[in-house]
Amino acid sequence: MTSPSPHPDSDAAAAPLVVQDWERLAFRVHRRAYRDEALFAAERARIWERTWLYLGHETELAPNDFKVRTLGGRPLIFTRDSTGELHAFLNSCPHRGTVLCRETQGSSKHFNCFYHAWAFHNTGEVAAIPDPSAYADEEYKASMRLREVAKLEVFEGFVFVSFTDDVPPLVDHLGPAADYMRMISEQHVAGMEVLPGTQLYGVRGNWKLAVENAMDGYHFSPTHNTFVGYLRESGFAVDDDDQYAYNLGNGHSLLILTGHGGRISMLWEPRFGEEERVRTAEHRREMELRLGSERAHLVADESHILFVFPNLLLFDLEGLSIRQLEPVAPGHTDVRAWQLAPRGEDPAVRDLRMRTMVSFVGPGGLATPDDIEAYEAVQRGIEATAGDGRAELDYSDMSRGMADDGTGRRGRSTDEGAMRGFWRHWVSAVGGGGPVDVGTPPPAQPEPTPLPSKRPHGLDEILAGLETGDEVAAR
Amino acid sequence: MTALDTAVPGSTRTVTRAEVEDFLFAEADLLDRQRYDEWLALFVEGGRFEIPTTDAGNTPASQGGYFVCDDWDLLRARVKRLRSRKAHAENPASLTHRMITNVRLTERDGDELTVAANFLVHRARDGHVNSFPGRYAHRLLVTEDGLRFRLRRAVLALERLEAGARLSFIL
Repeated sequence: MTSPSPHPDSDAAAAPLVVQDWERLAFRVHRRAYRDEALFAAERARIWERTWLYLGHETELAPNDFKVRTLGGRPLIFTRDSTGELHAFLNSCPHRGTVLCRETQGSSKHFNCFYHAWAFHNTGEVAAIPDPSAYADEEYKASMRLREVAKLEVFEGFVFVSFTDDVPPLVDHLGPAADYMRMISEQHVAGMEVLPGTQLYGVRGNWKLAVENAMDGYHFSPTHNTFVGYLRESGFAVDDDDQYAYNLGNGHSLLILTGHGGRISMLWEPRFGEEERVRTAEHRREMELRLGSERAHLVADESHILFVFPNLLLFDLEGLSIRQLEPVAPGHTDVRAWQLAPRGEDPAVRDLRMRTMVSFVGPGGLATPDDIEAYEAVQRGIEATAGDGRAELDYSDMSRGMADDGTGRRGRSTDEGAMRGFWRHWVSAVGGGGPVDVGTPPPAQPEPTPLPSKRPHGLDEILAGLETGDEVAAR
Repeated sequence: MTALDTAVPGSTRTVTRAEVEDFLFAEADLLDRQRYDEWLALFVEGGRFEIPTTDAGNTPASQGGYFVCDDWDLLRARVKRLRSRKAHAENPASLTHRMITNVRLTERDGDELTVAANFLVHRARDGHVNSFPGRYAHRLLVTEDGLRFRLRRAVLALERLEAGARLSFIL
């Protein structure tokens, strides 16, 4: 898969991983964070083994359905048993460790190990062990039930697991990120469901490059130049004003975007077409009644990119895409992406949604391949400074907008504040003891609470704008 | 889509496998040489280009996750993008090498011909080579002066896209 870095980082081990210089307002991350095998092992042990991880969405499974996934390198079976309960079993026979389920998905009440024909109910209990008389007693046989993850909890349909009992309740871990997940469920009265068709792809880059990229509004215009051109030609005025980035605690972060695209069935733009304009007005009236004006505004009028530490990205944009990161090696990450859509959606809207989302996100879209190019080019480029005698060169710079840090002011989406929040959390979580300060940090202020955007948000204004197209012109 | 097809009138003339092979081989040559404008001219107006995800089975493009589900607007945007120096994922362009075999004419309905073929595309970039095996399931419009894509569909025979195997080029 990925060849080891040609420059061992042992000499660099003494250099601090994350440095924040409050005199020069400079924030720097040591590049071994992206390539060092020992740090990768530390991440597995101290992050992936100790934190809630996103596994999948409950709507992916009808009773007896299963999906095979890998989290933190551990093969898992994500299933809903015949009684309707969700499980995440280790995909490994308790007998001798054979991978039990060698299909990637399916539907079955049983999991059977081909090696010695042990069989298990999808509740985890032993169904059959051939020639059981050779074992001590029934109790011993029963003890051979399928091994499950330590914890599994569901929030608004999003299923998380932990490999240790020593985690806070999921909702505490999510903190303020939870409300942005709830907003997704509130978009449509019938709720949301994951559609078939998983984009499963690998990238030759460290997983943290994918996190940075998602929280990086600065790259949007240069990296996605051709996509921005496409949006502009279709009549959408792309801009970065009134867009902000927030740290939500526990390593989670959020971009609130208003200038990068509309939102299907909630915020119309010309490329969605005239029929969608009418449907949007109807749906906004329904949202106003169901959620009230302020909440409907929050749910409908802003796009969100939400990162839930360490492996979940929610792209709540024109449509909704779920992306899960699975680090395979320091320079290799597997990505799974799913589309989340309203249940029972009008087929015409569903068709528009799929075209619009796939056109942007995913490894065959008009935008994501350029992001992947960026991760992969960084991963190759950082070899240039590995092991250089001038140790200060082997750092990446994330200083944009650092004057806002610790002041309680919100940072712009085109600055790097959300990335800094991520790295501060990461360096503590991975056992690096926290960032190294140069100079005196400002007195700690609470992180700013996300504010709604300045978009017009009275229903009358929105409907009037929809009729005249003024709202689009105003952007 | 049929309204747009009037730009190129359909025909019920007989089409041989050799003609379809020549069409697919010429298309592969255009793509390997990044002659994207000429490639786009192989489509009827309103044509589509699809690549389902590796687990999608027969899920229609409108109902599930896809790698590519371009309608005519998106297809033209994709070609425009690929011709730009700012399509970073394809600048410099991938080196591609296509082989097309097992060509079959699977169905004929008036001026429309359904064809199946196997492909193997090798793509080199950034010091790595990725292989993309799969099959084509195209719907072609038969005209008096050649064939045109109504639907150009590439179905991967892979379990996943391997690291580095992003579909920034035309598969």
